[in-house]
Amino acid sequence: MPAQISAFNDNQQRVSTQQLLQQIYAALEAGETEFEVLSSGHHNIGGPLWTQNGEPLRFRVKNPGQRVGSFGLDGTEIVVEGSAPADAGWLNAGATLTILGDGGDTTAHCAAAGRIYVAGRVGTRSGSLMKHDPAYEPPQFWVLKNTGSFSFEFMGGGIAVVCGVDCEGFDSVLGDRSCMGMVGGTIYVRGPVRGLSDEVWLLDLDEADREFLLAGLPVYLDKIDRPELFEELSDLGQWHKILAKTYEERSRVQHLTMREFRLREWVPEGIFGDVVTDDYEHVAGLVNAGADRLKIPHWQDKRYAAPCESSCPTSIPTQERIKLLRQGKVQEALELVLRYSPFPASVCGEVCPNLCMDACTRQYIDKPVAMKELGRLSRDAAAPLPAPESGKKVAVVGGGPGGLSTAWQLRLRGHAVSVYEADKEVGGKLRQVIPTERLPAEVLDNEIARIKNLGVAVHAGTKVDQELFAKLRAEHDAVVIASGAHSPVVIPFPGHERLVKGIDFLKAINAGERPPVGERVVVLGAGNAGMDTCLGAYAMGAKKVTAIDIQRPAAYQKEIAHVEALGGEILWPFFTDRIDEKGVHGKDGRLIEADTVIIAIGERPDLSYVPREWLSIKGMMEVDDCRQVTRAPGVFAIGDTIRPGLLTHAIGHGLEAAEFIDTYLRGEPLVAKKKPEIVPQECLSKELFRPQNRGRFCVIDAKSETNRCLSCGTCRDCSMCLEACPEGAIRRVEMDNGRFEYVSDDHVCIGCGICAGICPCGVWSMEQAV
Amino acid sequence: METMKIHDVTANDLPWKIRYDASRCTLCGSCTAACSFRAIAPKVERRRLVWSESEYPEPKSRYSAVPVIRQVKSIRNYCRGCGICEKVCPNDAIGPVRNLDTRHPIVTRCLAGDSIKRGGRKNLEATTRTLDKLRIGRISQMTDPSLDAQRHTFDMLAPFGRILPPGKLPFKVGADGRLQKDGQAPPVQWIYPVIIGDMSIGALSWRMWEGVAMATAYLNEQCGLPVRMCSGEGGVPVRLLKSRFLKYMILQIASGHFGWNRIVKAMPEMIEDPAGVLIKIGQGAKPGDGGLLQAQKVAAHIQAIRGVPKADLLSPPNHQGLYSIEESVQKMFLSFNAAFKFRVPVAIKVAASATSVSVFNNLVRDPYNIVGGFFLDGIDGGTGAAHEVSLDHTGHPIVSKLRDCYLAATTQGRQGQIPLWAAGGLGKTGDLAADAFKMICLGANGVFTGKLILQMAGCVGNDMGRCNACNTGLCPAGITTQEAALAHRLDPEKVAQNIVNYFLAMDQELKKLMAPIGNSSLPVGRSDALVSTDKAVAERLQIQYVC
Repeated sequence: MPAQISAFNDNQQRVSTQQLLQQIYAALEAGETEFEVLSSGHHNIGGPLWTQNGEPLRFRVKNPGQRVGSFGLDGTEIVVEGSAPADAGWLNAGATLTILGDGGDTTAHCAAAGRIYVAGRVGTRSGSLMKHDPAYEPPQFWVLKNTGSFSFEFMGGGIAVVCGVDCEGFDSVLGDRSCMGMVGGTIYVRGPVRGLSDEVWLLDLDEADREFLLAGLPVYLDKIDRPELFEELSDLGQWHKILAKTYEERSRVQHLTMREFRLREWVPEGIFGDVVTDDYEHVAGLVNAGADRLKIPHWQDKRYAAPCESSCPTSIPTQERIKLLRQGKVQEALELVLRYSPFPASVCGEVCPNLCMDACTRQYIDKPVAMKELGRLSRDAAAPLPAPESGKKVAVVGGGPGGLSTAWQLRLRGHAVSVYEADKEVGGKLRQVIPTERLPAEVLDNEIARIKNLGVAVHAGTKVDQELFAKLRAEHDAVVIASGAHSPVVIPFPGHERLVKGIDFLKAINAGERPPVGERVVVLGAGNAGMDTCLGAYAMGAKKVTAIDIQRPAAYQKEIAHVEALGGEILWPFFTDRIDEKGVHGKDGRLIEADTVIIAIGERPDLSYVPREWLSIKGMMEVDDCRQVTRAPGVFAIGDTIRPGLLTHAIGHGLEAAEFIDTYLRGEPLVAKKKPEIVPQECLSKELFRPQNRGRFCVIDAKSETNRCLSCGTCRDCSMCLEACPEGAIRRVEMDNGRFEYVSDDHVCIGCGICAGICPCGVWSMEQAV
Repeated sequence: METMKIHDVTANDLPWKIRYDASRCTLCGSCTAACSFRAIAPKVERRRLVWSESEYPEPKSRYSAVPVIRQVKSIRNYCRGCGICEKVCPNDAIGPVRNLDTRHPIVTRCLAGDSIKRGGRKNLEATTRTLDKLRIGRISQMTDPSLDAQRHTFDMLAPFGRILPPGKLPFKVGADGRLQKDGQAPPVQWIYPVIIGDMSIGALSWRMWEGVAMATAYLNEQCGLPVRMCSGEGGVPVRLLKSRFLKYMILQIASGHFGWNRIVKAMPEMIEDPAGVLIKIGQGAKPGDGGLLQAQKVAAHIQAIRGVPKADLLSPPNHQGLYSIEESVQKMFLSFNAAFKFRVPVAIKVAASATSVSVFNNLVRDPYNIVGGFFLDGIDGGTGAAHEVSLDHTGHPIVSKLRDCYLAATTQGRQGQIPLWAAGGLGKTGDLAADAFKMICLGANGVFTGKLILQMAGCVGNDMGRCNACNTGLCPAGITTQEAALAHRLDPEKVAQNIVNYFLAMDQELKKLMAPIGNSSLPVGRSDALVSTDKAVAERLQIQYVC
């Protein structure tokens, strides 16, 4: 006779769960092993209870509360007659729990051993967190009908069987969102399943599954007393099995890869495919060769002019000449200069202010390259061979530096040239006004002989008037107006008639006439001509020479220094009021005492021999950018006839005019030339040149200067780039004409810019591709 | 002697200095090859040593000239601190260092005579953000059922479109006693509560923009997240307009009306409606200022799609045809509702400002049921290009302004009828889920984000002045550039994958925040979930103060 445990006391009042459970403990102590429990919603009936001798315990429970069978141990068997509320079989550790009705929510929650048989439905979250302790048999959880939603959440082990009986019309016999977080265990299910977690597989049964079910079903159906269902349930074709994905299976990408998505799903060829050409398979690195470079190097020899070349009015490319010298090509170097100027010794070597040296990059390292010495090297150089005779004739009016330069250049180009000079010998101001201490006569004579020897016909002592000019024009294919400026400018101050004209004064000196001067001389005008006049005055015996000017002296510093060394003085600003026997009176009342006052503020051209309409309103020749007289095709004008300038300007004009005339004579259209841009100093790696100590600096010889020259803008072939290129992308290529070039291989070059950054000459430039 | 003059720009005038160690440098050229800002260049340095080793002065000297990498000292090509040189240097020989003594703001203005422009975000404030002073303080434990982020189904959907209150829904009871539809209800899209904010095809490289668009499509089609992307002003690629993916796109119209010619022309060939239309009135990063696409970014395809030549493209600060809020509702909303036959919701984006609530109140009345959303963009949002003075000194924070708008709607009992979307520095700390969640609790239906998307894609900039050169078109990451060589650095698939992954992570994190407060749908306006340890913030936002 089982122990009778009742929910009610003698007064028919409900006892507490604690009192009811105490009744069970007392009976167990008394040796009872079978219990009939009439509960009234009392919790926790059935476990954890045991006998010392291992004798099994049996409970029949009516109307239990929550957690019936919880903590149940091996050897405990509990039968609930009817339904059980929530948590039946909670933490089951080995008991057999049979519920003959429905199970509530979370039935078999956390069950880790034993068996739970339910004869009806179970509520939500049933089977959640079931586990399997490998030291024991796995727990089993059998449900005849269906589960609520969220069943088998976080299931970690054990076996659940949901038979799906009496579920017609259900979407899912496991409710919705079953098996969320399930990591282990097996669920056998018969009937439709929806909303399963994607962490599990829904599989067909294998042989072992079938064996398990066919062995287990009779036992289960016997427990719940429904053996008649065996036939229906043993049709295993309706069953499936749910297994959790393994750890490895879970981490596998379930979606398409982005590559697959782009290629299979996305707009073919991309949404920008019609407006942008781009291959998305190509992903550049941060450093690239080829097309993805941010910068592209170009070896651009002579793209920039050197400062010397650019500042020289005659555009003599000294860096080029030095390069030839450096290469040992002395003849070519000397000849190169003669192709620019017939006066390298007289002008470059003596009288030129050498603007090239003022611009020379080397001055920023130590001292400029010695250009004067380079010029003198060409003193005795032979003239280049002229081109074959063209059959064209050109007349040049004026045998000064400009006219002779034009004649020289035209002759080199194979044209017949006649120079008409009013003076008795050509040379112009070089001969007439430059003090001989600045320009030794034999140097000039030598160079003028070289011009004549080239075949330039000279008609000295021939002043060109209107009549002759018209004749010249008629008889020649082109005419050059190069008659210079010889009419002194005089300002009509009171007493201006006392003024000596500077140019006449200098001409007289050079003609050997020794014009007289007083002891005190004032020169009006402190330009270069003014300084020459000062020197002339000293040479003629003056004791004290003062040059005055209304503005900062325009003369070059070395000219001024020359005069000052002789005791001369430069005064400015000085505004002349009048001139009388005492000297020069300033508007401020100052008086500079003078015995002789010479005016040297410039000269105007005498162009009375050309039609007036060819002149500008300033009385100068009006020419276009090609030095051609605007109103007279075939007539060209240069030098002081178009604007006052230096000797070297006149020589440069001669070169330019000759080039244009050559083009003109070939019948081709004239196009003005653009001077190449001067090399920016920051392109030159001057640091590669070791400065010489200025304190003990001296020019050794022209040859030693060649290495000092940076070769601005012109490759000096040092191969720094070739050595420094980190990718070895640069090679030096010898060409058939004896020249060379450096080439960067686009397929190797990464566009780092090291070649350009270290080039001493600024020859490499980086094209900014981005 | 060549020397510096006081007005010459030196490294000390610039925001970043280059740290360089010649002894570690192999002159491999990687840094100068990779630097898109031309901020470093190879140079030759002199090394000169004069010494005497004798017992009496006997001078010796040594001279060498050594190629090195030097910083370019220029206000045009200056180091932005992007750190690409450091990334590519194999020897850790070079890298940018922030220059606290920079004179850049002064020197640049003095030399250029022009306002300073840049991209990025406001860089001035380093204080704690308001959002970081908020905590989700109401955690369900015993009092109400908490949810499990992993297990629960969450209804993470936010409306884009006009929501009618139940009484106004177009239904009537039919003769058979059943409910029947009676007229057209305004269109509503229920979408993911984080919209990928409006960044134009001009602002972004084509690879970036396509990567974002692809991520959007992937999130929808592969991951089931109904994320929408706003096109930004400036046109939409025609191939996208004609594809099925148009349904994930919100088309933007701003004051420049750029790109709409091709959109309209594509209409007959559209196989899907766009997700919506967003009328941009203002932008939080530079309120009161229009779009600014600098000429260097106006590439050929941008010129074509926008129908303009290469030039600085300025969108006017205002829509030229609008004079008042009422008119803007009538004209712009009506036009864009009509553009797609009232099938596509139309929303408006304004910059947060002192007057935003008035604007919102006006829209909330919406007698025509055509206002599909109110996008409020606060300061701290990003921009591709703006005048620095606008970026740093104009604008209004988003948090209180969004809250004000929400409370204004609740006062009228109209909350939720015009969906509120908020942006402006959200996700600035990298954690968009938290920011979005807090904004939603304060009353936003959802949020939108732009700059964070760039950062997902690999943007190397930050809010402390690093890089911020989106306006130059020289983006070292290939994101905000139209230069092919730079754009090629970006892998559009990787861009898309990163965005997808971030959204998936954010999705989990949003659930992680929804679960503890027990909401399985978005907790719009659940400010009871928030607490603040800052009394002023708590008071201003009407939430619980805790300490």
